[in-house]
Amino acid sequence: MDDQVANRIEVKALSLSYGPEMVLDALSLPIPSGQITVLAGPNGCGKSTLLRAIRRLHAPQSGQVLLDAEDISRLNGKALGRRIGLLAQSPSAPQDMTVEELVRLGRYPHQAMMQPWGAKDDAAVAAAMTGTGVEEMRHRRIGSLSGGQLQRAWIAMVLAQETDVICLDEPVNHLDMAHQLDCLELVTRLNKEQGRTVVLVLHDLNLAARYADQLVFVANGTVRERGTPETMMRSDLIEEVFNVTAEIIIDPVHKRPICIPHRRS
Amino acid sequence: MSAVAAMRRRTMPGPTTIALLAVFAVFVLLFLAGVGFGSTWIGLDTVTGVLLGGGERTDRLVVVQLRLPRVLAAAIAGGAIAYAGYLLQRITRNELASPGVLGVVDGAALGVVLFLAIFSNESNALIVPVAWQPLAAAIGAMTAIGLVFLLSGRQASSAIRLILFGIAIAAVAKALTTIFMLIGPIYQAAQAARWLAGAVNTINWVEVQIMLMVLVPVGIIAGIAARTLPPADLDDISSRSIGLNLPVYRIIMFLLAAVLTAGAVAFAGGVGFVGLIAPHMARLLVGRGRVAGIVMSILLGAIILVGADLLIRVAFAPLEVPAGTVTAIIGAPYFLYLLMRKDNSNG
Repeated sequence: MDDQVANRIEVKALSLSYGPEMVLDALSLPIPSGQITVLAGPNGCGKSTLLRAIRRLHAPQSGQVLLDAEDISRLNGKALGRRIGLLAQSPSAPQDMTVEELVRLGRYPHQAMMQPWGAKDDAAVAAAMTGTGVEEMRHRRIGSLSGGQLQRAWIAMVLAQETDVICLDEPVNHLDMAHQLDCLELVTRLNKEQGRTVVLVLHDLNLAARYADQLVFVANGTVRERGTPETMMRSDLIEEVFNVTAEIIIDPVHKRPICIPHRRS
Repeated sequence: MSAVAAMRRRTMPGPTTIALLAVFAVFVLLFLAGVGFGSTWIGLDTVTGVLLGGGERTDRLVVVQLRLPRVLAAAIAGGAIAYAGYLLQRITRNELASPGVLGVVDGAALGVVLFLAIFSNESNALIVPVAWQPLAAAIGAMTAIGLVFLLSGRQASSAIRLILFGIAIAAVAKALTTIFMLIGPIYQAAQAARWLAGAVNTINWVEVQIMLMVLVPVGIIAGIAARTLPPADLDDISSRSIGLNLPVYRIIMFLLAAVLTAGAVAFAGGVGFVGLIAPHMARLLVGRGRVAGIVMSILLGAIILVGADLLIRVAFAPLEVPAGTVTAIIGAPYFLYLLMRKDNSNG
């Protein structure tokens, strides 16, 4: 990893609990600018909570999240909405909302009483729909879309926010293999072509290794280890974090490490 | 381009505009019929003439002093409760939400009964101006929805939880109302019981004026606040991610809905189900559009209550059946129908 790369986001000793239950325990994590950071870890390890805390949807007990060296707790909601976009794990919208109506909501943080909808907003919505390939279906209702189409519509909504940072919480969860690849290729393209910083939560470790610049293993509310997929995909580390014995081989096509789990350890 | 589509939407009279005009026409006819019908039938042409400033002296007296306040009050109250219902259904993202279901109507009614019990003298005359009555209703309504909100706690975004607490709070408010009526003076109790069930027959011009003075400003404020409803249509995480302060916004909408309901209930009584049916039918007729949805809800709410009041006078005269009874007879099956339907409001 390039040491010259500045950190867009810096999570510093973040602790967060739901009631008595500690979810994040003094977690620290730098998120390099213009890279894809993938958070992985077992169920309940706190990775989704971390993602939401980065977008300040949860208030931490202690610690802070710095965005371009600025504490996010000092920013107001709309200002933050112009800088960090987040796609929820299972987002929902009224079934009779059209794709275009949904995407236009991404412009909400850019609007104010004295600053109504303008050409810039139209351009951002059009670009977001083109980038995700949903412009053809922009008059269709959300309820009539397939899973893959729906996910692209939601990603378009997040893109219309025009944020430097995009967080996606398990974006490929309910998609078949073809659409999983579609979705992650789209995210990669946004990252490579537009230089957006991407933070992903992914369950599938092989997809994580394939698309991550920085792979982060979260366990028990803290970062167990982080690094490039090549340094992270080790059988000892995977056994420790995920409780499975596994063999690591190099994917002959993409030259990325992939993990073949044997059994629960 | 979307701008072209948007322009076309604005310039051509689409199905939404036609539906609004048609429903408005129904409202006008029903309103005139409501004024015309009574112990003596006054023709629609005469009613129209009087309303436009003409007519004979006796007709004027009957129409302006006797009939008009009652019909106007029904229209205003029905419209206000429907408006409140629209806001609640949007902000909770659930078509089962309404001022009645969330305990707001019964909370407002309790406020008024307490007000009457505390501020009446032995001869059942109010010792304070009647203009304070909506304030009492508003306090009751806001207390009810505040309790529902607090009790739902962290799950306040779960519509089903809100509705369950709403039904519980409504039951408590009803029980308290009954207790205060039992321990209150008998005469007043009889009058209150009728009012509670929804009655517009005793309304006078002063009360209509008070209703308007409360409801018009609050309605305008709610209309401005409603501009932010579309981002709130998304799930909590998504709406907050795009920068909406959802917890605060939700409270503001709840309070506005409570005051709208209170302004209506203060004088028209506990008319149930209008706030449930009208916004739901409005959505079927004009879809998701915010402005059309609000206008259509108000028109339908007014139609339902004016219609119910008219039906009472046509079908039950000389008995003065409370308007709320009629709206409940139509509304309760509708509520059951909505309950039995597969919920597809959000997903």
